[in-house]
Amino acid sequence: MTLLHRLASMLRWIVRRDDAEQDLHDEIQAFVDMAAADKMRDGGSAADARRMAVLDLGGVEQTKERVRTGRHGAWLDDVARDVQYAWRMCVRNPGFSAVVVITLAFGIGASTAIFSLVDIVMLRALPVRQPERLVELLFKYPRDPRLNMYAWKYYERFRDQNHVFADLVALSDHPGHFQVVGPTSAPEVTDGMYVSGNFFEALGLQPAIGRLIGADESQIGSPRAAVAVITWSYWKSRFNLDPTVVGQQLLVDNVPITIIGVTRPGFSGLQLGMDPPLWMPIAAEPLLQKPSRLLDGSGQVSIVGHLKSGVTLQQATAEMRVLDRQRLAELEARGHDIQWRSATTVVEPAGAGLSTLRDRFASALLLMMAAVGVLMLLACVNVASMLLARSAARRREMVMRVALGAGRLRIIRQVLTESLLLSSLGGACGVLLAYFGAHALVTMIVSGRSPVGMPQPLQIPVHIDLRVLLFAAATAVATGILFGVVPAWHTFGSAPSSSLHEFGGTGETRTGKRFAHVLVVAQVALSVILLGAAALFVRHLSAIRTVGLGFRTDSVLQVRLDWSRGGYTLEQINPLRRAILDRLTSIAGVRSATLAAMTPISGVGGSQFISVQGFSENPDDRRRVNLNVVAPKYFETLGTPFIAGRDFAREDEWRPPVAIVNQSMARYYFGSTNPLGRQFTFQGQTTPVEIIGVVGDAKYNDVHDTPPRTIYSDAFQRLGTGIFVLRTDVPPMSIVPQVRTIVHDTVANVPIATVTTLAEQVDASILPERLIAMLSGLFGALAAVLVAVGLYGLLAYTVTRRMKEIGLRIAIGATNRDVTWMVLARALRLVLAGVIIGVPMALWTKGYAANVLAAMAASQAEAPVTLPVDTTAPIVIAVCAMLTVAIIAAYVPARRAMSVNPIVALRSE
Amino acid sequence: MERLDIPQGTLDLMILTILAREPMHGYGISQRLAVLSHDQFHVNPGSLFPSLYRLEQDGKLKADWRPTENNRRAKYYRLTASGRRQLEQHRERWDRVSFAVMSVLEGA
Repeated sequence: MTLLHRLASMLRWIVRRDDAEQDLHDEIQAFVDMAAADKMRDGGSAADARRMAVLDLGGVEQTKERVRTGRHGAWLDDVARDVQYAWRMCVRNPGFSAVVVITLAFGIGASTAIFSLVDIVMLRALPVRQPERLVELLFKYPRDPRLNMYAWKYYERFRDQNHVFADLVALSDHPGHFQVVGPTSAPEVTDGMYVSGNFFEALGLQPAIGRLIGADESQIGSPRAAVAVITWSYWKSRFNLDPTVVGQQLLVDNVPITIIGVTRPGFSGLQLGMDPPLWMPIAAEPLLQKPSRLLDGSGQVSIVGHLKSGVTLQQATAEMRVLDRQRLAELEARGHDIQWRSATTVVEPAGAGLSTLRDRFASALLLMMAAVGVLMLLACVNVASMLLARSAARRREMVMRVALGAGRLRIIRQVLTESLLLSSLGGACGVLLAYFGAHALVTMIVSGRSPVGMPQPLQIPVHIDLRVLLFAAATAVATGILFGVVPAWHTFGSAPSSSLHEFGGTGETRTGKRFAHVLVVAQVALSVILLGAAALFVRHLSAIRTVGLGFRTDSVLQVRLDWSRGGYTLEQINPLRRAILDRLTSIAGVRSATLAAMTPISGVGGSQFISVQGFSENPDDRRRVNLNVVAPKYFETLGTPFIAGRDFAREDEWRPPVAIVNQSMARYYFGSTNPLGRQFTFQGQTTPVEIIGVVGDAKYNDVHDTPPRTIYSDAFQRLGTGIFVLRTDVPPMSIVPQVRTIVHDTVANVPIATVTTLAEQVDASILPERLIAMLSGLFGALAAVLVAVGLYGLLAYTVTRRMKEIGLRIAIGATNRDVTWMVLARALRLVLAGVIIGVPMALWTKGYAANVLAAMAASQAEAPVTLPVDTTAPIVIAVCAMLTVAIIAAYVPARRAMSVNPIVALRSE
Repeated sequence: MERLDIPQGTLDLMILTILAREPMHGYGISQRLAVLSHDQFHVNPGSLFPSLYRLEQDGKLKADWRPTENNRRAKYYRLTASGRRQLEQHRERWDRVSFAVMSVLEGA
């Protein structure tokens, strides 16, 4: 109550300032009038009585001031005055203010944009009950990323036998695609998820209308399970928020399913990156899927749950490792795959969503957060040095104010208000930049290859919401204080009394000068770190794109047809694809064309165990061999070199099976003996396959991995579809119209599903690296610009101050070269000092960067390639960039120094 | 005779006590204070008005402009319910303090 009163009254004082002042004035006048009237009654003239009354009062204005300062919220008046004053200072120096605000806007904008992604990928809790106790169950098979996918029977076993979870729920490991026909709508392919009956209740989710899936729908295969819950956004876009939707029927894959409820807005499942609109009980799966993948064990679910209170992650992991042992043993037995023995099970927090996207992007985002932190620091130092230069110029004003009785704290507060005003303006512009920046980042991220089981492209909702705004505001305030404290404190670097002596001079002190130099040196050092990192990441990116690939990514076009549409059997497709291939080869500008079941780094692939007669190995070393099925000229088209033997030929089609192997495969199974003419058999088959050729090693599924042992089979010795792959002499996309015509002429009813280039495909797979290289490059460039501005400011200021000295030097015979050198030498000295400090720091951060890159590679690959992280070149590049910056920044001040007219300069005092 | 300084913190208590009788304007309060204290306390408007404004801000007092008996306009302050509560609390505390102080002085 009291607080409310106070706030209201404070507000009144601010909003209706004039009224309140008038009120106070009237009241005091009334007081004086009454006092004067009393005194007149005691005898005396009206004028005397009035004078006495005012005297008693102790002065009308003084009383008013005491009332004003005694009020609650009086500080608000001071703040308002400070802000007004600071605003006037900003406006008076528009150029200066603009540079400061732009500098800060870039810093705050970049960090806010990256934070908005870090927030959504890593920090923000799902809108579920007790997100802090929500965990997921993951296992890692050596070559794969960590996975949360289990057959239904294992879920049931875990649910019934564990002692560590308060609840355990299952949901589809990836969305299914369903053909959905609404009461009034046309058929549409819609993503849907299956969930266990306890899903919504365990997660504490409430319906917007109707009810959610519950225990009633838990009976596997029961007709009562033919129900669905739809999401709010689907309800809005397809049903216009019509409340009668509850009870309506959808035809899902031709099975009638009743809508029983709608989730509340904000619910989009547990996995960032997708928003499946249809949620059905897993018990309904056997009704929709024939035969049921749930019951035959081929369908997989993700498992999440709440830890029981008091149970730690370690305890849960320990128990689940025991429970999971049997499953791993079964998988090993089924696949004859000893590698399952080294698979590990782990329980991980899932309160911010399932880990798939985090695993892929977290380290890149954190690295960028660190880089943007350095950039932010650099921006602060930069702005601090600018404010410092200006505070030297405003020294006279400050001295005057101290002399007139302004308190020390009062002045520090004034200076801080000015820097906070600047940082707030910078923050406001920064949020605007962040808005576009975050969207650009998301656009880039969704252009990458989605992790297994996630939609392509990902749906990442990034908003500049309250949390992000708070972050931006906190950053702005922190930077405002950080760069404001230095000049504020510096204003009192020397006692005001001594400053009065220099009243007439420029008011420059030795410590002030030295400090300005320190700030520039610090800027150089920080940008050496950023530029060094940028050079490192850009070089690493270009290395990972090219080194040891085993094929050439340039000028390769890939065309995939949607054979499922034409109604052809595989037998009918065979001659058709051959006909298309022949015609594709004849397009002008196409050097060679071929077919392949998969192309490198596409994210799909296959592998098999093989046996080679006379070859025995330790069971622990037994590994699958990767497979591809390719047509003649595949290696020529991809640019993979032939080592020995011959390519597939048309005549092979009617001969016994043949294969081409890569060097790793040949070396492993045949050592130094000639593999040509040798035979192997695929597991589960009896027909021997003869090796007719050996090709160079090529990366298969992931550029981070060393090339695996690979076998290429002949596409025309078996049935299948395949992707058309063309190497062109012209830009690959330029021949797409001819390709379309040929496909249309040959199989009019088979649409082209995708047209991509191999380079795009590789780039999509290394998105985190590209993100890092692009952002660190951007930050490095910004850093260089900031240093140039900072250095230029200092040099220009120095030249102005030393005008007389320069004039004197010119007068006694200094040449243009001498003067230029004088300015340049100063610039170089500062840059060198910064470099000397920055290089060891850059070397230190390089270790961190290399670790992150290695971790990223390791998360993607079983035997990650270690690209050498070159230590010298990036630093040399950074140092050269800094020297260039020094020369550029020195150019204009040097020109000005040269043009000094000695006579004018010497007379100026 | 020299007038006494008003002890720290008691001005609010005295203002509230005076206003508990009847609503009054600033000048009236200062006069009443002088009379009631047998001219020992003389409050300066420079102290009185800040106190009044603060009490009003805190919701202990409410003020409105009214004509005086001499047909002038003056701002009259009156106690709110919350002001009355505050008066009771302060009064009780003051009684305890003054009793305690007196006991010490007499006991020693």
